[in-house]
Amino acid sequence: MIECVNLTSKYADGTVVLHDLSFKVEAGEQVGLIGANGAGKSTLLKSMLGLIETEGVISFDGKELCKKNLADIRKMVGYVLQDSDNQMFMPKVIDDMVFGPVNYGISRADAEKKAEETLEKLGIAGLKNKQNHKLSGGEKRMAAVATILTMEPEIMLLDEPSAALDPHNRRNLINILNVIPVTKIIASHDLDMVLETCNRVILINDGKIVADGKATDILSDKTLLEENGLELPLCMAGVPAFLKKED
Amino acid sequence: MNKAERAIDELRGIDKLTSINSPMHRLSPLSKMALTIIYIITTVSFHKYDLWGIIPMVLFPIIGYQFSLIPVSTCFKKLRIVMPLVCCVGLLNPFFDKAVITYIGTVGVSGGVISMVTLMLKGVFCLMASFLLVATTTAEEICAALNKIHCPKILTSLFLLTVRYISVLLEEVANMTDAYHLRAPGQKGIHISAWGSFLGQLILRSMDRAQALYESMLLRGFNGVIDYPEKENKNKYSWVVAIICIVLIIFTRYFNIPAYLGSLAL
Ligand SMILES: Nc1ncnc2c1ncn2[C@@H]1O[C@H](COP(=O)(O)OP(=O)(O)OP(=O)(O)O)[C@@H](O)[C@H]1O
Ligand SMILES: [Mg+2]
Repeated sequence: MIECVNLTSKYADGTVVLHDLSFKVEAGEQVGLIGANGAGKSTLLKSMLGLIETEGVISFDGKELCKKNLADIRKMVGYVLQDSDNQMFMPKVIDDMVFGPVNYGISRADAEKKAEETLEKLGIAGLKNKQNHKLSGGEKRMAAVATILTMEPEIMLLDEPSAALDPHNRRNLINILNVIPVTKIIASHDLDMVLETCNRVILINDGKIVADGKATDILSDKTLLEENGLELPLCMAGVPAFLKKED
Repeated sequence: MNKAERAIDELRGIDKLTSINSPMHRLSPLSKMALTIIYIITTVSFHKYDLWGIIPMVLFPIIGYQFSLIPVSTCFKKLRIVMPLVCCVGLLNPFFDKAVITYIGTVGVSGGVISMVTLMLKGVFCLMASFLLVATTTAEEICAALNKIHCPKILTSLFLLTVRYISVLLEEVANMTDAYHLRAPGQKGIHISAWGSFLGQLILRSMDRAQALYESMLLRGFNGVIDYPEKENKNKYSWVVAIICIVLIIFTRYFNIPAYLGSLAL
């Protein structure tokens, strides 16, 4: 279970981005985090891992985020960064994938086996021995997700996991997210994906929670979405006007 | 491809050489390091006029390259910028040391010329040997070897991160130069008026990237030191090979092979 109480986050330059956020995510829930550009989605996810100075209380399974628990919490929580370039730092994909598990005391051979399974599951086994800097944008994205999946976290925070993916890889990713039974918070502008993967949605604007409720309710509320710089998911918007036959 | 991208490619090219599977690659990193260090010390220790004595030393790197399946020419290609610099080192010697010490046919050769050539050879041989080590051993393996001989882990981690950040820096340079040239077509290089902001941006961006990468490492359990697994497939006989080579190197140092061969011919 994840719990945030009166969370306020401040960047090093003094910019306060999140104001007094409170919410709770039950174990096994998949929550979509939506909001316009600059709303504070990435900031919220980073704050939850102690990467940004915060006030208020954040806790995972009752463990409060503080210096003492930081290592334990980071072991428990997998975080897919918005920018995959920043996620991958080893020369090859496989090196990156075993980095985490090996740090947590798993033998390299076992970690490699796990990594291979994950790549297989994601349908990107071909990337295993590729050099990170020679991957395409979408390949890098898939590889970044794979590095986190290999760590088998109990909780996953994903920042724009479907950005840059082709329809096929996006579908693969959605299927996998739906199968893995861990608690997830997915920040995304891909509202159709949010609708398919999450039963609950938190809408933020300007660092404040504007709405928190059932995904189908919030994502079908045209006025609410438009007021906060978003639009209805494509699957709900119907055929666009310019494509409608004029008869 | 712009210059920075080419530089990245060269770096990765060396990374790629380390993944070849050859007898040389399979030697344990520590034995390779010891061998290289002793080779370099021995080569440097030759007397400045001992041109004939130093020539056989070239055999060690050449044989090393043969066993590593890397062509010797790769070394010269990759080091094409440093090699000429090393060769410049002794260039002034002939002007200072004019005493004739030997004759080729009837032409007198001054000590300066001999010492210049000896110095150049020393430089080239040492570069060849160092490149062989770098091309057959990954940065991780070198760090693991250093850790094994109780070099402080913080130093080896620092070394490894520095190696990694070189490519981060170069990537940022590459991205920025591309972006610049897309909006300044036909310009050669970066205009001097943009240097200030370009450098400033570069520092900010690489610091941001470095910070983000570091955070990403922390999130995956990095605790300040990087532990490297021992590669299991390393050759058990590494040290035997290394010791034999070391003995041969020292033998070459104290036993003038060309002089011996010459005396046989007489
Ligand atoms: N390092 C930083 N220092 C200062 N302010 C920052 C920093 N990073 C982000 N911000 C500010 O914080 C606000 C929220 O940014 P954040 O990245 O959380 O937005 P987001 O909701 O993830 O947007 P997007 O959908 O574009 O990814 C923005 O207004 C941004 O200007
Ligand atoms: Mg974001």
